[in-house]
Amino acid sequence: MALGDLEREVMTQLWDARDPLTVRQVHELLSANRDLAYTTVMTVLDRLAKKKLVVQQRADRAYRYAPAQTREEMTAGLMLDALSATPDRDAALAYFLGQLPPGAIQAALQATPKET
Amino acid sequence: MTALLLGALGLTLSLVVPGLLAGARWPGRAPVAAVLLWQALTLTSVLCALGVVLAAPEELTRAAGANHPWTVAALLFSLAVAATIVIRLLISLIRVSARARARRERHRILVDLLDRVERRREVGGAEVRVLDGALPLAYCVPGREPRVVLSDAVLRVLDRAQVDAVLAHERAHLRHRHELVMESFTAFYQAVPPPLRSRAPLDAVHLLLEMVSDDAARRRVGPEPLRAALARLSDAVPLAEETPHDPAGDARRRRLDRLAAPAPNSAGLSVVAGVAAAGLFVLPTVILVVPWLGQALDAWPFRSL
Repeated sequence: MALGDLEREVMTQLWDARDPLTVRQVHELLSANRDLAYTTVMTVLDRLAKKKLVVQQRADRAYRYAPAQTREEMTAGLMLDALSATPDRDAALAYFLGQLPPGAIQAALQATPKET
Repeated sequence: MTALLLGALGLTLSLVVPGLLAGARWPGRAPVAAVLLWQALTLTSVLCALGVVLAAPEELTRAAGANHPWTVAALLFSLAVAATIVIRLLISLIRVSARARARRERHRILVDLLDRVERRREVGGAEVRVLDGALPLAYCVPGREPRVVLSDAVLRVLDRAQVDAVLAHERAHLRHRHELVMESFTAFYQAVPPPLRSRAPLDAVHLLLEMVSDDAARRRVGPEPLRAALARLSDAVPLAEETPHDPAGDARRRRLDRLAAPAPNSAGLSVVAGVAAAGLFVLPTVILVVPWLGQALDAWPFRSL
């Protein structure tokens, strides 16, 4: 399985969990119906922590991991970044509709119901 | 004389022609050739600026004599100005592409994590990612591992054929490496000092590239689904229409008008614009710079040292 897919699945587990999870908990959740090494999960969590996408907390003797932002926050932030227009950032992405005035983006994101 | 001619050509190309070209409607009928014309225009005006800076002291040399100390000073000064122009452009290009690459990389990582796999499988395509959210959003992240990103709202608002039209449009951007064209124009825009710079080329080329992608998508899925997708997504974006003189809104209208026309592109117009672009690019080099170069080598001040 590609590392990218695994990263996404680990993030999904952390987002769905109520509390920060230990490596062992994430491993248990993911290896329910497949063969997955504990160390692989540890590596993935470490990589995500280095990218500042998850935060590592030390509790008792084990590290616990929590997402740095909720899925909704991260999605909203990404969309805002994708749509906001400043002259020096135009070149990075190509949009189907063209860019929106900043006011419209803010309003639309606030109107976005916090679903799922 | 050469310096004056080059200066006049450069000023015409950077101050008069962009306004005319940005206001013209015909580029919508030959978008590829029009992008080439914009590129030729921009590059030629840079060449003219360099030509003026380098030709002026040579003419001074002939007027004042090769060994006059002022001549050497003027030559050194103009070489420094020319070097500044070139270095400024190069630095701007490196900075813009580095920033764009970093931003794309970040987007690629985040959309991979936020991807709703279940929904993506309905859409099909290994590079497609689907995000949650009620804001209709479709964009592509160019690069070695490109992504086409759709928001859930797009899938809810559009039917299958319209989604395919949007994907075909975004894939055309990726296939034709449109990001490199936009990067070069952004780099040029940023290299020009703020009081002199103009957004006109940037906005015009951006719209033209959208039209090029529209044409590619149209060839694949026909004009109707693409037109419907564009119209529906614009309607679904709240507040965007309330802004007066919204340039993005105007661009959308022009794209919609093109998609309503039976066959907007004209082969003849493309050839004419393409030839104009090639001619423009060659013009200062051949007519002005080459004869000047011959004279300049004879009058080179360091030769007599």
